[in-house]
Amino acid sequence: MRKYLQIFKISFEEEFTYRLNFILWRIRNVMQIFLTYFIWSTVYSDPAKQIFGYDRTKILTYVFGIMIVRALVLSARAMDVSNDVASGNLSNYLTKPVNYFKYWFTRDISSKVLNLIFATVEFILLFLVLKPPFLFQTNIAVILAFLVSIIFAVIIYFLILFLLSSIPFWIPEIGWGSHFLVTVVIVEALSGSLFPINILPQGLQSIILATPFPYLIYFPVEVYLGNISGWALFGGLMVAASWVGVLWVFLNVVWQKGLKVYQSFGG
Amino acid sequence: MFKKYFKIWWMMSRNSFSAVLGQKLALSMFLVGKIFRFIFFFLFLYFLLKGTGSLAGYSGNQIIFFFLTFSLVDVTTQFLFREVYKFRPMIIKGDFDLVLVKPLNALFRVLMGGADVIDLITIPPLVVLTIVYGVSLHPMMSGVLIYLILLINGFLIATAFHIAILAFAIVTTEVDHAVMIYRDLTNLGRLPVDIYKEPLKGFLTYLIPVGIMMTTPVKAMIGSASVLGIIIAFSAGILSMLLSLKFWNFALTKYTSASS
Amino acid sequence: MDRAIIVDGLVKDFEVTEREPGLTGAFKSLISPKKKIVNALKGVSFSIQPGELVGFIGPNGAGKTTTLKTLSGLLYPTAGFVEVLEFDPWKRNPEFLKQISLVMGQKNQLWWDLPAIETFELNRAIYDIPTRSYNENLKELTELLDVEKLLNTPVRKLSLGQRMRMELVAALIHKPKVLFLDEPTIGLDIIAQQKVRDFIYDYNRKYNATVLLTSHNMGDLINLARRVIIINDGKILYDGAFEDLIMQYAKEKIIKATLSNENNISNLEKIGKIKKLSFPEVVLSVPRSAAAVAASELLQNFPVDDLTIEEIPIEEIIRKAFKSEPKK
Repeated sequence: MRKYLQIFKISFEEEFTYRLNFILWRIRNVMQIFLTYFIWSTVYSDPAKQIFGYDRTKILTYVFGIMIVRALVLSARAMDVSNDVASGNLSNYLTKPVNYFKYWFTRDISSKVLNLIFATVEFILLFLVLKPPFLFQTNIAVILAFLVSIIFAVIIYFLILFLLSSIPFWIPEIGWGSHFLVTVVIVEALSGSLFPINILPQGLQSIILATPFPYLIYFPVEVYLGNISGWALFGGLMVAASWVGVLWVFLNVVWQKGLKVYQSFGG
Repeated sequence: MFKKYFKIWWMMSRNSFSAVLGQKLALSMFLVGKIFRFIFFFLFLYFLLKGTGSLAGYSGNQIIFFFLTFSLVDVTTQFLFREVYKFRPMIIKGDFDLVLVKPLNALFRVLMGGADVIDLITIPPLVVLTIVYGVSLHPMMSGVLIYLILLINGFLIATAFHIAILAFAIVTTEVDHAVMIYRDLTNLGRLPVDIYKEPLKGFLTYLIPVGIMMTTPVKAMIGSASVLGIIIAFSAGILSMLLSLKFWNFALTKYTSASS
Repeated sequence: MDRAIIVDGLVKDFEVTEREPGLTGAFKSLISPKKKIVNALKGVSFSIQPGELVGFIGPNGAGKTTTLKTLSGLLYPTAGFVEVLEFDPWKRNPEFLKQISLVMGQKNQLWWDLPAIETFELNRAIYDIPTRSYNENLKELTELLDVEKLLNTPVRKLSLGQRMRMELVAALIHKPKVLFLDEPTIGLDIIAQQKVRDFIYDYNRKYNATVLLTSHNMGDLINLARRVIIINDGKILYDGAFEDLIMQYAKEKIIKATLSNENNISNLEKIGKIKKLSFPEVVLSVPRSAAAVAASELLQNFPVDDLTIEEIPIEEIIRKAFKSEPKK
């Protein structure tokens, strides 16, 4: 346990070494929120308007919720695994008495903590500037369910990143390409960080809800809003849990096979 | 002169084309990614406006036309100015030295020295889509004309921005995300800037003239731009170009070249 | 034109931003950057005639490369007069640039993923080289550098030495009259170094081209340059013929001997200064004029198996030159 604490510390400090990159990354996040916020603020400019199952308060709470949930779920370092695999740097870790998965999970957590601190500051500042109506959830059961859904989301994202990073075992040159396709394009669109999934037609919604992506952002935020409760909540958590299981098993198989390919090349 | 530069541009584009052909798989990943991103946002707008009917006083087709115009400027500049993304490594490694000693305009080389093949595939369908949606708005002939002129004006501003980013990379190697920040800012122009509140709106209209680049052309076409707005747009285009060129020339005098 | 290059009182200052460590330091330097001026060149003057081959010597950061870069128009001079082929380099007039070339070891202009021939073709367009002379030059250069068979191989598949030679072809395809070479042999193996060196020598002879080269590699200078300019801390310490440099700073010669036994060994110091003594090897340093006498004395009075008289290593001569720098 102590060594992972140490990894956490070093990882945290490393983010500060590249502080300028980090600050710019945060600025980019804020700019993305601007677009989302103002689209929805314009759509729901009339406080009495009810559409897609939201009103002004709920949709703007959704947008502000994205800021925090994004920091918690989508801040990660595990995409760098790709480089380790492609460059052969992985060998350095395999010979050390650390669990490679735990190593990167620790680094992810450290990145999440740092980003959460910044996201909270941004949240407060933007809240003061934009003064949106906001729904403070007071139901302890709902908050608990929200936290559980966040834990699932964090694990699902970690597993997705690791699976993507396994591709270079076989095809080293598309490490960055596959990350772009999945984490930049697909996750951004289907996780609900631009728009809630329920503005889409029913059929499309059902398809998307069967993928792991909406359980990253959309589902936790909806749980927080109290839009998903009872059996629907239970069902959603079950789907998320199943994805954790499926991806976990899949990753283990892929990783073991990948390591064999890697070692047969002599690392 | 023009013939020579066109020939060289053609050769360089052909070279970067054959260079990326070696990585077909990675290339198709990016292509698919770009197309997906476009389709996702398009569908989002489509379904959103199906539900709401209008946004900030614009009809569904008008909003989509705003988005298409943004995409056109965005994709075309990426197609032409792809080399800008490779400039910082060029400065750090010092390869820019060998660009400067050539009897070829250095700015031309680092700005346009390698068109992006991926966008060559995405531009034609985008143009067709833009025309289809443009026609559906039933513009007048004069409207179309002013739209096209303002669109070129928008390209001019985008070019000025890219020149400024290059100059910036010479003056300081500290900031390497300038071009990404630029892209994030212009991304705010996917929808008419009218949806933003002051002071962000003013900032986007005049300081970082995303509005002039992407919103004004459409507004002029559908007849909701003032004459003054159009005059301001052209002045901004010319002024930004002059300033960025001045900045570039200044930056060159500050060039220190890696490892002296 | 009796001077290919004229440099008079050249000064170049660089502005360097200093940054304090820590997050607050990063913010501070963003808001009010702390600037420091570095004087890279402090008034350098020299002139070079057409067809000369001149070597620049100096430690890292002495200002050699800064001088070359200013001469080729990359850097804006802070003060002083610079003229190359009667042009002001900074203006980077295309007519000027067509007559010069800058080659830097480990910096490349070749397109990495493509065969070198593609870069040459591009340069043909950039330099407006007529087809006929292009073909002639290409044939000649590739033969001289022994790379004809590699023209269609992607650059990334070439060895470092092959790539460097291709870089030379790309840099010379327009037959420049003035050639600036910055560390042209850096990182190359001995054979490749020799090939590049022979080529520079031939190119200089054949086209009466003016060549300026900097190198850490003394071999480059001994074999190539008849005139050297020693530069240190932004100032010229020595400018003149290579032989004169040796006469001026190498006042001594080195005698190396192998002894067969240890008899009389304590008397060795009467012959000259003992630099090294580890039986059977002995190394003595003697005044240049007395070298012959010392050698014969050694042969007569000591059990010598083998004996050689050598010049002081060039590195040491140059170190001496730096030490003798007039005190400020």
